[in-house]
Amino acid sequence: MSENHERILEAKHVTKKYSAPGGRTLTANSDINLCMYRGRTLGVVGESGCGKSTFMRMVLSLEEPTEGEILYRGKNITKLKGEKLRQHRQNIQMVFQDPSEAFNPKMKIMDIVCEPLLNFKRIKQSEKEQAARRLLEMVELPGDFAYRYPHNMSGGQRQRVGIARALALEPEIIICDEATSALDVSVQKTIIELLVRLQREKNIAYGFICHDIALVQSLAHQVAVMYLGNIVEILPGERIGAGSLHPYTRGLMGAIFDLKMDFSKPIESIEGEVPSPLDMPEGCPFQNRCRQCMEICRKEKPLLRTVSEDHQVACHLYGEGRQI
Amino acid sequence: MLNIEDLSITYGKNSDPAIRGVSLEVKKGEIVSIVGESGSGKTSVIRAVLGCLPGGGRVSHGEIRFEGKSLLAYSREEWRRLRGTEISMIFQDSGAMINPIRRIGAQYVEYVRTHQKLSKKEAWDKCVEMLKRMRLPGADNIMRSYPFQLSGGQRQRVGIAMAMTFQPKLLLADEPTSALDVTTQAQIVRQMMGLRDKYDTSIIVVTHNLGVAAYMADKILVMQNGRVVEAGTREQILHHTADAYTRKLLDSVPSMGGYRFV
Repeated sequence: MSENHERILEAKHVTKKYSAPGGRTLTANSDINLCMYRGRTLGVVGESGCGKSTFMRMVLSLEEPTEGEILYRGKNITKLKGEKLRQHRQNIQMVFQDPSEAFNPKMKIMDIVCEPLLNFKRIKQSEKEQAARRLLEMVELPGDFAYRYPHNMSGGQRQRVGIARALALEPEIIICDEATSALDVSVQKTIIELLVRLQREKNIAYGFICHDIALVQSLAHQVAVMYLGNIVEILPGERIGAGSLHPYTRGLMGAIFDLKMDFSKPIESIEGEVPSPLDMPEGCPFQNRCRQCMEICRKEKPLLRTVSEDHQVACHLYGEGRQI
Repeated sequence: MLNIEDLSITYGKNSDPAIRGVSLEVKKGEIVSIVGESGSGKTSVIRAVLGCLPGGGRVSHGEIRFEGKSLLAYSREEWRRLRGTEISMIFQDSGAMINPIRRIGAQYVEYVRTHQKLSKKEAWDKCVEMLKRMRLPGADNIMRSYPFQLSGGQRQRVGIAMAMTFQPKLLLADEPTSALDVTTQAQIVRQMMGLRDKYDTSIIVVTHNLGVAAYMADKILVMQNGRVVEAGTREQILHHTADAYTRKLLDSVPSMGGYRFV
């Protein structure tokens, strides 16, 4: 897949550190390398605190990486300032997790979805109503919703407005940060269908953050599994069920409650808690919860290695010269 | 053991009940899940069992019987004796139930001593023992911690430990895992199942996660707009559902290796 699709965003050796009280440092992301392709979805999964949102915030230029660079169409976007940064924001937009908190409650839907267009002088005040109707119809909402306020809508409808606002500037990349986790399953399904339809029509690349690995595999072309600020596995979405290798990815899948599962079997789960990112263990980040932990895992941090086409894994079990 | 008959709940001055005609029977050692979308009234049902409906809610029709006695006729004093000992509840976010400016230990000991005549030392030991049973490492440490020093999963386990202290006959769980990560969720679910196996506790779980509901429950109740649309054993609901709404809900659950949108 890597070669057939146009590469629009590339993160190279991105590391983000925050300083914490007591002179310590919190490593939120360490050495992340990821690419996004035109019209494709990159899914990022992991437990809370694994750094998936931090990474996407850097893609959105909301945070600046401590080290490394993020290239958008070959240009480094991490050092952009002022007007250049403002203009660049048209290329990458975002849909938020909780649609009830993502809008100003005192603004009408019309003003919410047209605000980006007015900011960049794409439309005049007089064209606002027409533009709002067009955007709302794109996300399958009646045009008359333009006159409503956010509190007059259901969660699913509000999330559609959030998508309409992100679409307004016709960006190439949209980041969805847990965009469906606050919604009921049946609503979640319709939102996913909408996102997929829009992707086909407009060739948008999505960065889809989610903790539900079953949902991610159903819509992502490429999935990155993160643990404690590191990417532990990257593989195509359709292969995650049968082909994933990293013990953490397998563990995540074992913890899913599936309607088709064997109910008589006890549920598998990864034991223990994620260690604090303040004192990162030496060696593999997953060592203290891994059942297959070996001597080498405590000393040496495994690097991402390509095991087959489009499939990379960071684990000593699948190192050079070992059987897969 | 618990019998809910034709229950209707009305909020405020509305004459129309928000919950209408809910009936449910829970036997000893049985796990029942109530599933449905937000606003379908699943939480109201279990809150009514504990007599703590929020904001002017009241039972306007029907009957709730616990071990043969009608709960609705209970005085406040009788209800107070029942709560936390015979029937207890686990909330969605146990962190919000705990007082944020007091240490876990102080609150837990107070709770134990409210219901049982024990010295502080004995109560403390009982608490530590319960936390250990919930497989919380460093139970003594946790007793001396403030709620914000614990992770979400740890706080939820403290909540479950508190609810299980007096080995209640009936445990009500309101979205016990929806604020947690999938790995922690699996651990908590396993622990709750363990309670049933060990103490024969009856459990009612309210959840919107159909996977969790199906895994835990012997019986499933599907609710929509304040009514029960379908009730039956897990097998009936999952594989032989007659109801269009249940079907739609089941089809919306993403599954590993299931339908792909792209």
